Amino acid sequence: MNRRPQHSSAYLEVTIIAHKEGQDLPTKFKYKKRNEREKPMALDVLLQAQENQLPDLAFRYGCRARNCGVCTIDINGKPRIACRAVVRDGDELKAMSTLPAITDLVVRRDQISRQLKGKIYEGGRKNDLNVEASEDYHELTSCIECYACLDNCPMHEKNFSETEKDPDYFQWGNPFSLLKLQTIASDPISTVARKEAAVTEALNLGLETCVSCPGCKCGVGIDLKGKVIKPLLQTSKLVD
Amino acid sequence: MNIDLEWRNFDVLVIGSGGAGTNAAETAAKAGASVLLVAKDPLSASDTKISEGIATVRASGSEDDTEEVLSENLKIAGSDLPVEEITSAFAKDSQTAYDKYRENGLRPEISSITKGPNSLPLPMGGHTRRRSVGHKNSGLAFGHANWNAIVKENKIEYLEDCWVIDLVTSEYDDNRRTVEGAIIYDAQKGKLLAICAPSVVMAAGGLSTLYFPKTDTMRGNTGDSYAIAARAGAELVDMEQTQFLPFCLTSPPSFEGLLGGEPVTASYLGVLRDKNKKVILDGVYLRTRAECSAAIMKAVEDGRGTPNGGAYLDMRANKRAPKSGTYFMKFLKNSLPSAYNNVRQAMNKKEAQCDELWEVRPSAHYMMGGIRVDANGKSIADKNSNNGVQGLYAAGQAMGGLFGANRLGSTSLTEGAVFGSRAGLAAALYSRNFNNKKINKDLFFKEAYKLDDLLGQKGTKHASQLKIQVQKECWNNLGPIRDKKRLKKTQKFISRCRKDLKKIQIRKNLLWNQSLIEYLELVNMIDTAELMTYAALERDGSVGGHVRADCKDISIFSKPYSTIVKVRKSHIEVSKIDRKRTELKKLVEFKFKEQKRFLEAKLLRLLPMRLKDAIIEKRYKKIMGSKEQAPPLEPGSIEAAVGDQRVS
Repeated sequence: MNRRPQHSSAYLEVTIIAHKEGQDLPTKFKYKKRNEREKPMALDVLLQAQENQLPDLAFRYGCRARNCGVCTIDINGKPRIACRAVVRDGDELKAMSTLPAITDLVVRRDQISRQLKGKIYEGGRKNDLNVEASEDYHELTSCIECYACLDNCPMHEKNFSETEKDPDYFQWGNPFSLLKLQTIASDPISTVARKEAAVTEALNLGLETCVSCPGCKCGVGIDLKGKVIKPLLQTSKLVD
Repeated sequence: MNIDLEWRNFDVLVIGSGGAGTNAAETAAKAGASVLLVAKDPLSASDTKISEGIATVRASGSEDDTEEVLSENLKIAGSDLPVEEITSAFAKDSQTAYDKYRENGLRPEISSITKGPNSLPLPMGGHTRRRSVGHKNSGLAFGHANWNAIVKENKIEYLEDCWVIDLVTSEYDDNRRTVEGAIIYDAQKGKLLAICAPSVVMAAGGLSTLYFPKTDTMRGNTGDSYAIAARAGAELVDMEQTQFLPFCLTSPPSFEGLLGGEPVTASYLGVLRDKNKKVILDGVYLRTRAECSAAIMKAVEDGRGTPNGGAYLDMRANKRAPKSGTYFMKFLKNSLPSAYNNVRQAMNKKEAQCDELWEVRPSAHYMMGGIRVDANGKSIADKNSNNGVQGLYAAGQAMGGLFGANRLGSTSLTEGAVFGSRAGLAAALYSRNFNNKKINKDLFFKEAYKLDDLLGQKGTKHASQLKIQVQKECWNNLGPIRDKKRLKKTQKFISRCRKDLKKIQIRKNLLWNQSLIEYLELVNMIDTAELMTYAALERDGSVGGHVRADCKDISIFSKPYSTIVKVRKSHIEVSKIDRKRTELKKLVEFKFKEQKRFLEAKLLRLLPMRLKDAIIEKRYKKIMGSKEQAPPLEPGSIEAAVGDQRVS
């Protein structure tokens, strides 16, 4: 029978997998708990590793309060927001697998926003700004842009097939891009033309992939399937 | 030179992608300028995005809210340190700046009476009118609007993961300098960029990362705005005015420094206690942040601090009151929802229900001073406003002169939008004078060569670890309590640190070189801290966010002044500039009201429970209205610390 290694409760051992020039380099790191009851977050572990053992370890973080959306990493292969993800003994911390890694735990993120560059066109707005938006609209603006939704997205995966590989441009969409487009489509101030353009863009990004997909998962609990995918599929007449 | 430079030309370079940078880029592009926006963090990931999302919109609550009323309100709240020209600009543009956010997707609740954005039901404490508009999803709603503004058009080019190393300037007579562009490290691509641009808008935020603990502001606040501008020759104003919030969390470690409450949420019966449970400050809800922070830090220094180096905030009396107790809990949860959320996650159930004491300590939040500018964000100097760095503009937390010694609630989002737009437009117009300008490449090479020496530097020290030492030093000696001895100590520490810079190990590679990034940020932290020590020594008295334990409080009746610091050749120059004082009558009125409030609070506490309970219940009902909803507060805003307001 395999027995997990025994650790004193003062420590917690994790593996940090750093990306270096195309290679994955695992390092064991013993996190020293700052008090016995501490249940450290992944970000605490990375910060202590940088302070004590890996001074040049590269990772993104911002607000420490699950708001800015930049510290997402993979823990045991699943995307987690590092500042609020509790770490357990034996966990593996690694760069998000859904975006190209640059160094250590840092991934390149800007192709996602560039995908819509110049496509959320202006001029499609009614003049009166004093109109209230629906609850659904507001649910969409609670997105923190952590990109956890890219995990298991069959549309986004197409960007990495051998024929499509272009590090600078993602031809195929993802739940976040669709969320931005649905925000325009559900904005009370958008004109009909602007709403239509948003849906057309969703189709261009590969919306038909969503028809047969069981659905995506949001890092902060937005109902992506119900509030983003379903309305887009309906407006575009891909489903009834 | 071993490094290749990638040369690019733009009319306007904007540094920072928060509210100020985004508005600057959008406005400059609209005015026809070619714009490059660069930021260290991913697009729109900024303090704007993680803020409480409450913005000042003049006259959103009442028609008598004129520009004069708002402008004067800001000036008095800032202890007469703010510049009238700048507060007037803020008042003039608050509505149009807000509407720009709405054009980019910000959707407030619409009032059935005014048919415009619905302002919060009560004027936020320091405000003399109702004019603060809250939003669903707080700052995230602003973050999305900023994102939309940059992405929607092809006119603005943007680059993430870019660290500005230094501005490139040319010098003309008597130390006066002109912007030529900047040298930028693009970590994502592993390139060095030579950006030739006649105008630069500095909108790279504040300096809270000079300290630990800090509140939930962005990690990237390493003082870049101030350090880069000062090295380019710009003057900085009021750099001693750091805002610390007193009631932040001490544990668990992942939550250290995050906001738990504000003086006002301690409510009518909240007190501060030391480790022996002895009361060290009462009437907490009427105190200034500085008073609360000072009381905590004093107890810590005397060895009476709590296990994690703070004090206990005791709100049990509020909770125990049979009738008003339930109102108190609603008040606490509603007024600072994100702070209360931190408490719920970090503390146990009894603590979160205020049945036990909260362990709290101060934490760094905001810089009220900054780059000295005119009302269009243009860098100015001396008495002649044309003597600043030509082509340098600043907006948002990077600029000074709007808040002085204190910041009114809900103003920072509006500040970013108003002065971002103004600076963007001014920068675009200025750049029109430089069509087909000949580029002096040598100036750029000179800056870039510095990097040649750095890359591959051998040593035993690491910048990431030195940064932690800087945070400790700034906390201890440039923090919520200061005195001459401590400030001199910090200056000595900084000169030691500068010697250590040569012993820092820096890798040679260019693709995302974390050791280089840490080094660049460390230098900015040190430079900013040093400038702050000069300003803090110059202001030999306590006012606003600056508390000198070795000097008296600066009387509100004395002549107000701002401090100015600047880098000249190899030394720092410091001076004072006079500001206009508010009429005596208003100041006397304020003093009277303050004393009255303290007396009332004391009497209330001494009443028997039943009587006290009934009075407090009535007060909660008045604040929270029929829906029993407490108005939201913005962390760091003046209404969250009633004692901070000068004239109500």
